[in-house]
Amino acid sequence: MVNKRMRLLAWALIGLLVLTTVGCAQKPAEPQKPGESQAEGDVIKIGVFEPMTGDSAAGGQMTWEGIELANKLHNEVLGKKVELVLVDNKTDKNEAANAVIRLIEKEKVSAIIGSYGSSLSMAAGPIVLEKKVPAVGCSPTNPLVTKDNPYYFRVCFIDPFQGSVMAKYAYEDLGAKTAVIVRNVADAYSVGLNNYFKEAFIKLTGDEKSILAELDYQQGDQDFTAQLTSIKKLNPDVIFAPGPYNDGALMIKQARGLGITAPFMGGDTWEAPEFIQIGGKDVEGVTLSTHYSVDAAPTEAAKEFVDAYKEKFNKEPNAFAALGYDAYMVILDAIERANSYEPTAIRDELAKTVGFKGVTGTITLDENGDATKSAVILQVQDGVFKYLTTVEPD
Amino acid sequence: MTRKNNYLYTLMAVAALAVVVAWAQTGLFGLLSPWDAYTVRIMNLCAINIGLGLALNLVNGFTGQFSLGHAGFMAIGAYTVALLAMSPAVKQMNFFMVPLIAPFDKIQISFWAGILWGGLLSAFFGFLIGAPVLRLRGDYLAIATLGFAEIIRVVIINVKGLTNGALGLKGIPVYTNLWWTTAYAGLTVLLMVRLIKSSYGRALKAIREDEIAAQAMGIDVFYHKMLAFVLAAFIAGVGGGLQASLIGSIDPAMYKLPLTFQILLMVVLGGMGSITGTVIAATIVTALMEILRFVESPLTLGAIHLPGIPGMRMVVFSLLLIVVTLFYSHGLMGDKEFSWDLLFSRRTKQGVTQ
Repeated sequence: MVNKRMRLLAWALIGLLVLTTVGCAQKPAEPQKPGESQAEGDVIKIGVFEPMTGDSAAGGQMTWEGIELANKLHNEVLGKKVELVLVDNKTDKNEAANAVIRLIEKEKVSAIIGSYGSSLSMAAGPIVLEKKVPAVGCSPTNPLVTKDNPYYFRVCFIDPFQGSVMAKYAYEDLGAKTAVIVRNVADAYSVGLNNYFKEAFIKLTGDEKSILAELDYQQGDQDFTAQLTSIKKLNPDVIFAPGPYNDGALMIKQARGLGITAPFMGGDTWEAPEFIQIGGKDVEGVTLSTHYSVDAAPTEAAKEFVDAYKEKFNKEPNAFAALGYDAYMVILDAIERANSYEPTAIRDELAKTVGFKGVTGTITLDENGDATKSAVILQVQDGVFKYLTTVEPD
Repeated sequence: MTRKNNYLYTLMAVAALAVVVAWAQTGLFGLLSPWDAYTVRIMNLCAINIGLGLALNLVNGFTGQFSLGHAGFMAIGAYTVALLAMSPAVKQMNFFMVPLIAPFDKIQISFWAGILWGGLLSAFFGFLIGAPVLRLRGDYLAIATLGFAEIIRVVIINVKGLTNGALGLKGIPVYTNLWWTTAYAGLTVLLMVRLIKSSYGRALKAIREDEIAAQAMGIDVFYHKMLAFVLAAFIAGVGGGLQASLIGSIDPAMYKLPLTFQILLMVVLGGMGSITGTVIAATIVTALMEILRFVESPLTLGAIHLPGIPGMRMVVFSLLLIVVTLFYSHGLMGDKEFSWDLLFSRRTKQGVTQ
């Protein structure tokens, strides 16, 4: 039995499908002549793909604040207005890939900024490589992001450097001879950073056994008593435990409860107000490495950025906003030097970035597209992050 | 309406689809593809999701066994394809912390063989896990399969010498194109249609309606459940492999519960136990998430300038979902199927079409 209404519906559905497919079609683009500008009219577009929703939404939003601010302060290059196009990637790899190809195909952007989260950036990698549009990451620290991809750059330092910075600090400033590593096995950042800390620390101390133990915990663990009990027995000089800030804060609280007095050290993820909120008095004295500090404020750009940020958002800027700002400024600088809006020309100039004075320090992009720049070490004092020292790259 | 005519229509539809695919992928007779890479990518995702949705529908919709282990099977397929299809040089680049164990660091096989192995390995795990857990029913089965998917993910995180742990894998060769994905979706549809119309399909539906009654009628309940489960695992494994090759990089965090729920959403929205429904829902859900992006972009209406609000499309999407479930409580199609008679048969209302 065939219902007439159902038949109508079915035909309507087929019609809709055909219409959308045809609607999505367009005249094949003319092959672009070399040197021809992609920018139409008097606007140049820079695409941004960040996790504005989902698990990493906080990080994505902080970065976006920085990028938006940079666009507000410097919205012209080579006489054209710079327009930002933000596309949300939902903290999802599929969405990240969709977002980037949308920026390139639909929005015709000249360059791309993003993304918070290394795995999201890696999803975008093959696309920017194939379409030859340069991308600049703000805070993806996994070495794999830029490896073998001449179209991916980043303005942050990478995990190997951050790991060695903390090892150097532990060995030289704290006089540590032994260390214990605690890592979140599900977190690429935690695993990577610990690996490089271990390599650097063993090299510094010259002792294979200077890392007393490498302890693992799983994502979502709330109770670290098992790991901490063995740490107490080993009695190391320092404990290196980078990972999500909530894990770190909880672990330190429990460690102090068990009577462990060894200093804790972490990475840039700990630089969040929540870290101190959760940890309270127990996280006093904890040291961590990060990209930048308001107090260190080493460059002119940093002063301008900090003032503008405070005025607009009425709070102290954090590292992610600063990195977003720098990513935007590095691209603008490259466009100016290239004297072109052509993505490939921008890429070539990006690769030649040397000594760019950014908010987070002096940025030089190496042959991998990674920034070699200084790191700062912060310490929790009286419930706030205090600037301790700056470590220059070798 | 004769059977012959139906075959003819089906052949014509397949031919039309092939023309569209060929045109979109490589261009046709010198005509360039009229669809840009963005649209083609969405088409790819639609096709992959159709296959994944059908696999889940086979277990959840047709057999009535509520399984939540889909992401686990996809992960197995994805990692198998990645490990088999990546070149040794790329593998060395990836495994810079813990070296890849032999013999995987040397071998590289062709993509289609990798996909096949991905599916087979996934099916094998489906067989291993199915034997004990399919004795459970309802919520308990859901919990057990969910646990299985989590175990797979945790194992992948911890076996660093094989999977690179949490760092994930990058540089998986991008072989997936519209030919692959539409063939995957098409073959899955074909397989499902033939299966459901066969005695196996009737047995599966009987188990869904009443397990004890089915057993009393002489159906080997366990055998049929296993069949559906292992087949679904195979299809999910292949789909996971295709998806990995489409994105080019994978990591364990991709294969969490939300991935299973995304597929389950398509199945439930389309109708549990309807092949047509899953095909429609998978296409709509995948395409709509991208189409709805316009609600997030800044809007200028004369003098009024509205800033874009990220996350708006999820709100709109959820509202649509609520409306659909209110008016179609059994999904868009319920358990009805598309047939050519629906479009062409002259005998409407009266008369039986057979």
